[in-house]
Amino acid sequence: MQLDFKARELTIKLVYYGPALSGKTTNLQSIHQLVAGDVTGRLMTLETKDDRTLFFDLLPLTVKASKGLQVRVKLFTVPGQVIHNATRRLVLQGADGVAFIADSQRSETKSNASSFVNLRQNLTENGIDPADVPLVIQFNKRDLPEIRTDAEIDALASRGKEPVFKAIAVRGVGVIETLMGLLENTWRHLEKNHRLEEKFGIETEPLLAELGRHLGVEATAQPGIGR
Amino acid sequence: MSEAPDLTLADVSRLEDIVDKTALTEVCRSFFDLFSIPIRVFSRDGSLIADVHETRAICTYVNTLREGRPACSALVADVKNIDPEDGPIEHPCFTGAIYRVVPIDYQGRRLGRFVIGPYFPAELKQVPGSLLVLDPEIDGEKARTALGEMPRVRKETAERLAAHLTRILDLIIFSGHRSFLTSEMHVASVRESFRSLAEKNAALQEAYDKLKELDRLKSNFLATVSHELRTPLTSIIGYSDMLATGIAGDLNAEQAEFVETIRSKGDHLLALISSLLDLGKLEQGRVQLSLVYVDAAALLDEVAKTVAPMATQRNVHIDTRVEAPLPRVKADPVRLRQVLFNLSENAMKFSPDGGTVTLSVRGVELEPDGGGDDAMGLVLMAAPQTALELSVTDEGPGIPDDEIERIFDAFYQVDGSSTREHGGTGLGLSIVRRLVDAHGGHVWVESEVGHGTTFRFTIPETDE
Repeated sequence: MQLDFKARELTIKLVYYGPALSGKTTNLQSIHQLVAGDVTGRLMTLETKDDRTLFFDLLPLTVKASKGLQVRVKLFTVPGQVIHNATRRLVLQGADGVAFIADSQRSETKSNASSFVNLRQNLTENGIDPADVPLVIQFNKRDLPEIRTDAEIDALASRGKEPVFKAIAVRGVGVIETLMGLLENTWRHLEKNHRLEEKFGIETEPLLAELGRHLGVEATAQPGIGR
Repeated sequence: MSEAPDLTLADVSRLEDIVDKTALTEVCRSFFDLFSIPIRVFSRDGSLIADVHETRAICTYVNTLREGRPACSALVADVKNIDPEDGPIEHPCFTGAIYRVVPIDYQGRRLGRFVIGPYFPAELKQVPGSLLVLDPEIDGEKARTALGEMPRVRKETAERLAAHLTRILDLIIFSGHRSFLTSEMHVASVRESFRSLAEKNAALQEAYDKLKELDRLKSNFLATVSHELRTPLTSIIGYSDMLATGIAGDLNAEQAEFVETIRSKGDHLLALISSLLDLGKLEQGRVQLSLVYVDAAALLDEVAKTVAPMATQRNVHIDTRVEAPLPRVKADPVRLRQVLFNLSENAMKFSPDGGTVTLSVRGVELEPDGGGDDAMGLVLMAAPQTALELSVTDEGPGIPDDEIERIFDAFYQVDGSSTREHGGTGLGLSIVRRLVDAHGGHVWVESEVGHGTTFRFTIPETDE
């Protein structure tokens, strides 16, 4: 997080992590399409080869909140391919929150798990306690055959501590909910650590409601399948 | 660049860091060519990044007036310092012309502003009073003519032109930002990969050093233990020898047989321990070679004679073959004999009943080696070198390809079961290789499963 109190400007970095081809870039593309043009900037894709991310994708969101506060949210994706680990670790630096995009296909269960292990390793290497990072999980590609069932995911989600969202990113289903869930999680975490409300007069609930309005949803996104 | 780029948030801190000034000026030039409206681009701190304009007739005229010059300078300074905080601003000039100041925002941040103008608003029909009262000496007619040369632009058109420029600038900034981030990420990724590889290398080096130390400790341990074992064993062999010769009284047949077993097993054990000691010394590079010119043909005969009793016992025929002339090489005859003996013993062990073991020697020319291919001055450095090549061939079962690499390892035997069938310590070949290495030579195997094996080694001619 970067807070420029003089300029009334707050910047948050959110990172979309996950195994190769799980739909991280597609999430950003959908957000870019779904959110109003005065909120999103251009979607920047750095160095791709055969449509695969080499460095990262970047989607900036800018929300003019009340009291002249400008909230900038920068959404990054990491390259999912195993060989780009150094780049992944770099992109992860300074992340305020992480959305883990998992592939719902049963055959991808293992690569989801190993990418998650890799996320924890990279956080640790960057000097961050993985347990202390705001995290949401998205099960993407709900429209494909041979996927892990809703019942299966719900049962596991109720035992885990992170909010779990289901999505079909290519159709824009569930992506805003995931983003809003992550924003909310991240904001509460930042509020707890930096006491933004007390120190800077930035009130949590109204701000989340405002962010939600700009993204086109109600403030408190409930985990579950998107609209 | 003034400060380190912020890769964490991938933010742009200064317009001039990511925009190519020449390209930007070209775009401004093209805009000017189309609409004849001057354009200037400023960074956030007010430095001029692009500037395309031509001095207007009215400006030239105003600057000739005593009151006009300072008024013009003050206005230009004003325009330069305007911060269009909440969006585009129209700033009027006393001539009636207009400057339009437009903010340049990128990813929610103010990066600078551009100014188009002066242009004359098409809506204005006459010379404004502010110009006519500027200086007592102003010539109204001259001023009107000069103003007439200024481009006339409707407010709506000016707004559209500014919006168009904003979009073009945004694209230029976006492209610049993208290539800036790409190159920064490239360098950062390489650096990060290097850092993590260097860490792994350090860990590997540490593990390697530990293993080397362990290996040294193992050799020491082996040498010490072998030495400590040999002393009492010598007594066991000596006393059983004395028993066998009847010094302590006659033995009956059964006792004699038992004593003989003790003695022969003792000998076997001694041989094993001696090999271990040898290996230990060789591993530590402590073997001293006494190099003299050797007669390889005689050496071959000698070894053949030494192994003859064992050959007879196993029903194996020993053949020697000498291809004269032989190069004169220096070697340690004792060690050379040991190598040939080990190889011959091995060959006999694996020979079928009635098979032949052939010991050969010949002169060969070694492949020139000037320090590896592509070495500097290879053609000069790679002088031809001759060597003595000795070989031992058997007609045994042969060695599978995948085992060939490992047979020179200590305690390795191709087939664990053959150890018991054929005996041996599993140290012979390992000693052979170390002895050949100590002579600066090379040992290798040629084998075909089912058709026998040939061990060859070279002893290079000594440089005088």
